[in-house]
Amino acid sequence: NVHILPIYENYHGGYVVIRLALAGHKQANRPFYRIVAAYNKRARDGKYLEQLGSYDPLPNIYNEKLVSFNFDRIKYWIGCGAHPTKPVAKLLGLAGFFPLHPMTITEAERRRAQTELIATEDVLQEGQKEAEV
Amino acid sequence: MLKGHRRLDDVTTNMAALGTARRLLRTCSRVKNVQRGEQRSVRCGLRTLCSGTRDHALSDNTRPQFTDPAVQDLLTRMTGLDLQKVFRPIKEELKPPTYKLMTDQQLEEAVELATQQAEKLLQMPPLLSERKPISDVLSVDKILDGMDTAKYVFTDITYNILHRERFIVVREPDGTLRKASWEERDRLVQVYFPKEGRKLTAPLIFKEGNLKMVFSQDRHEDVLDLCLVQFEPDSSDYIRVHAATYEDLDKHGKYELLRSTRHFGGMTWYLLGARRADGLIVDMLKRDLLQDAVSLVSLFHMVHPHSESAQEAASQQAAGADLLKIYADKESQKSGYIELALQAYEQLTTKKSSAE
Repeated sequence: NVHILPIYENYHGGYVVIRLALAGHKQANRPFYRIVAAYNKRARDGKYLEQLGSYDPLPNIYNEKLVSFNFDRIKYWIGCGAHPTKPVAKLLGLAGFFPLHPMTITEAERRRAQTELIATEDVLQEGQKEAEV
Repeated sequence: MLKGHRRLDDVTTNMAALGTARRLLRTCSRVKNVQRGEQRSVRCGLRTLCSGTRDHALSDNTRPQFTDPAVQDLLTRMTGLDLQKVFRPIKEELKPPTYKLMTDQQLEEAVELATQQAEKLLQMPPLLSERKPISDVLSVDKILDGMDTAKYVFTDITYNILHRERFIVVREPDGTLRKASWEERDRLVQVYFPKEGRKLTAPLIFKEGNLKMVFSQDRHEDVLDLCLVQFEPDSSDYIRVHAATYEDLDKHGKYELLRSTRHFGGMTWYLLGARRADGLIVDMLKRDLLQDAVSLVSLFHMVHPHSESAQEAASQQAAGADLLKIYADKESQKSGYIELALQAYEQLTTKKSSAE
């Protein structure tokens, strides 16, 4: 691990990223992410510059995944030259703040293909059963 | 939203079992609602002027609104200022009572301070018409159909914007990006900016059967305080609970329960809108509050200026007990009661004057 001292951030070409940091490490199998502006080389869950929101990947009783963004501060950090990572860019695309990420579309298409495949397999299986009977 | 005004009093809430300790957020909720009430009345001034759904007789902008200073003045006078009731002991942590030794003048000053405090506590909560449901779709992306089994709800956490203007959008599994509905908004704002005393799901006390049970225990005021804390003033739940409470009060004639509280104005406004203020007038006359009865009738004439009694009164320029007589003749269904009560009051006054 490269231990970065404050004066070295610019010297070593470190840059700010907006990424997901895992919070609540005390509980196993219950992830919860903070959307965070941090230096690139810092540990994923280590010291960050500012928290810009949260993301809960497990849906709640209303079948919603709660995501929060502090758009004002996100705009500031992007203005300062921060790079959002892929998952953050995907979430922002889903929110409508960024244009849609191409991988979101690709994943949606893949899922649809998968569901169609399962559906056709089921139909085939039922056809076979009827043929047997 | 300014969060720095939390009082240091302990607050205990026990909504799991009905019929237990009283809520005592009165101080907190009142101070908070004062600020919110001011904000809302300033911002929603235009909206209230343009809405007139209570009485179909008049739907112009000339109709007197709840927030008019004349109306407010009359309503505050009718609410009364019973210091003993406003500052009655509420359940707090056990402290030994403090005793102060005061001169008469200091006592008067203390009482004056108490009256000012009581006036602030008795400020009426805002009265708005029901909010229209949000059904705004920002984009329809059919390419994203089937991207996930759950919805994504995005909230804007920026600190300096009003909760009404926050962006809360929902991305459905079929790809539509829509604005969140009012219920979702309330819930999410409570998640990210929790307000003291408000729950994420409404307490069970607001269901119909439970409301009836609480009304049978004469705890209308607690229900209304809870409702004020839990719901937004223009949500359908708030209006429904308030309407149910006022109906029940009217049915059983228990106006005294609300007399020196902040909900009295709302109740009178509702009854006037529904033209069912007879029970209230009878109750006032029974308790020898002639001034209040007169102000109630004048308020009725302000709200319904096209009714017969209003036109009669305007033509005769009546004042005082005559107003009541005109109202009793023309409008009310319980005119017999009102006339009897008036006669009794007049007898009392003549006796007093003859005794003097």
